[in-house]
Amino acid sequence: MKKYALWACSCLIATVCIAQEKVGNFAGGFESNAQWYQDDEGLNFTAPQDQLRSNNYFSLRYTYDKFTAGIQYELYAPNPLLGYFPGFKGNGISNYFVNFKHQGLDITAGNFYDQFGSGLVFRSWEDRQLGVDNSIRGIRVKYDFTDYLNATAFTGNQRTGFELSEGTLTGVNTEFNLGSVLKSDTGIDLGASYVQRYQESTSADVNFPATVGLYSARADLTFDSFFIGGEYVYKEEDAFVNNRQVFAGNYQDGRALLINTGYATKGLGINATFRAMENMTFFSDRDESANPFLQQTINYVPGYTKQQDYAVTNIYVYAPQAAVVPGEQKAGEIGGQIDVYYTADKDSFLGGKYGTKFEFNYANWSGLDATFDEPNNTYTAALLSRGEKYFEEYSFAVKKRFGENLSAIFTGVRTEYNGLIVEGKDFFLKGNSFIIDAQYKLTKGRSVRMDLQHLGADADRGNWAATTLEYSFSPFLSIYATDLYNYEETNRHYFSTGGSYTRGRTRVALNYGRQRGGLICVGGVCRFVPENTGLTINLATNF
Amino acid sequence: MKNLVLLLALVSFAFSTAQTELPNITLKDLKGNGVSLASLSKDKTIVVSLWATWCIPCIRELDVISEDYLKLQKEMGFELIAISVDDARSTRRVKPAVMGKGWDYLVLLDVNNQVRRHLGVTTVPLTLIMKDGKIKFRHSSFTPGAEDELFKKFKEIASN
Repeated sequence: MKKYALWACSCLIATVCIAQEKVGNFAGGFESNAQWYQDDEGLNFTAPQDQLRSNNYFSLRYTYDKFTAGIQYELYAPNPLLGYFPGFKGNGISNYFVNFKHQGLDITAGNFYDQFGSGLVFRSWEDRQLGVDNSIRGIRVKYDFTDYLNATAFTGNQRTGFELSEGTLTGVNTEFNLGSVLKSDTGIDLGASYVQRYQESTSADVNFPATVGLYSARADLTFDSFFIGGEYVYKEEDAFVNNRQVFAGNYQDGRALLINTGYATKGLGINATFRAMENMTFFSDRDESANPFLQQTINYVPGYTKQQDYAVTNIYVYAPQAAVVPGEQKAGEIGGQIDVYYTADKDSFLGGKYGTKFEFNYANWSGLDATFDEPNNTYTAALLSRGEKYFEEYSFAVKKRFGENLSAIFTGVRTEYNGLIVEGKDFFLKGNSFIIDAQYKLTKGRSVRMDLQHLGADADRGNWAATTLEYSFSPFLSIYATDLYNYEETNRHYFSTGGSYTRGRTRVALNYGRQRGGLICVGGVCRFVPENTGLTINLATNF
Repeated sequence: MKNLVLLLALVSFAFSTAQTELPNITLKDLKGNGVSLASLSKDKTIVVSLWATWCIPCIRELDVISEDYLKLQKEMGFELIAISVDDARSTRRVKPAVMGKGWDYLVLLDVNNQVRRHLGVTTVPLTLIMKDGKIKFRHSSFTPGAEDELFKKFKEIASN
């Protein structure tokens, strides 16, 4: 692999050097995330043997006329950061592609990312913070027949670590803009997709499904300020899998319905999403069902809840339940969320001198009302039925300015969280969070930000408090200190401090301390981190 | 070790050239119409901001610029295009959020992170100043006061 990597790189450089004699566009990026782990008795955290670990990504892309070629080299030295898929081990060329684009024709050979519709049947994507790169290596062809009709077809195998999936994926998708054909003021978009996985049968049973397909049909209507859309997905019968054991003779199909509607006019925006799904997990290797590293996922099933921004509101976060697990009484989920954005104008009663912004979100999720036959690992359920409550949340935020330089965000969140369903711990929690986040602008690009946070909860680890203090010397350099404190059950402090420097194409961040895990925002940038103790260095640059 | 040397060699080599353009693709606006990125800054100077509905610093930046947007447009021809990197989880929130906040920007949807990947950024906000299709300035965070720096740079680049 190493020899291959060296060979491929030298080849590319040689090609590029020659090509640069003419014209061409050359680009790339380098990102390194390193951490020096330290033992921490207070957290019961023991540093791994190789205390210093790093994830490094180096990508190059060259564009010449209608062609683009790219590679990505990844180095996990000596092991990937904690919490990452162990298959990210060692180093190598992880992705490569050549793309040709001309007059509506778009052909890619090699690794590619794409998404059909909302992603319910297919989405390949990369997220380095989450350790996900499920690009497909194969061939993809997209063609725009006209302004209003296009189609995509692909086939390939999915990336997992430095390897490829055993199952082969094939997909087709078409999108049709009926509104523009009818020259209608109303936007009418239609779409349909089919994605299948072929993986050799592991059973003597002639009915064992080696090929499993997902079908999607969808439509979106966009009026002046009102919009509505829906998608229905059917998944063919797939073998039931539990704990990597494939059950021949037990084949179950799945389905999902997604509806989205909203209203938006200047100053007021409303959005409502409803989704019901039953048995909607889909992996490029059927054995991989419910792996914790999100490897080999073919479809994308995000949690439709508000993505919270603060330490105390990120402790009890809902995770979507797409899988069938009769032993845990799970067959899918049903629920939705509503968002409202409202701005009170300047000089109005609510708006005051500078105007006030309001945000509201309500989310509610339950299991399907299903009957389980645990010994046989089967179930019966109706897609549009409600069973046990999984999660409910009200979030309310007010953004207000108090003068030329002072502004604040007041947030209140009411959460109900089923610990058994989401993380396998036997508790049902009700909690209330309150957060004040104030920012003061000083002169010459300097500013200071402070937040105070509290979560009062009646279960699990009880109450939490947190605070952050951040100082920016300029738009380029800032430092922070933060503490998250569980003052009821564990008496643990999660203290951390650090800073970041960003200039042009380069960003460097340094952090030291404990991390509980979740979304952390520093110097104006947010990223996701897993729980640990140590010194972290992040470097990202591109060219 | 050998790999590290190779990596450094590649980095230093690659720095000699530069990524200066947006990808040659078409993104949808909030009405569902396709907008070609290549022609966005043809014969003019614009600001492109990569943001997401879940990113507080991004919203703060766009809110603060929005307050004086009309005035900035008149005074120095300031124009901002906000590219949302929200994925399928939150992309449906973009239109209500933009309208509810009363922003007057052209908003485009980068649902599967094509622009983000092309520019090699993992974090948002990312703010670019573009002139005639070329990226002239790039900044990847927002703290209060950064908008003043942005306006200064914009003036400088637009008048050059």
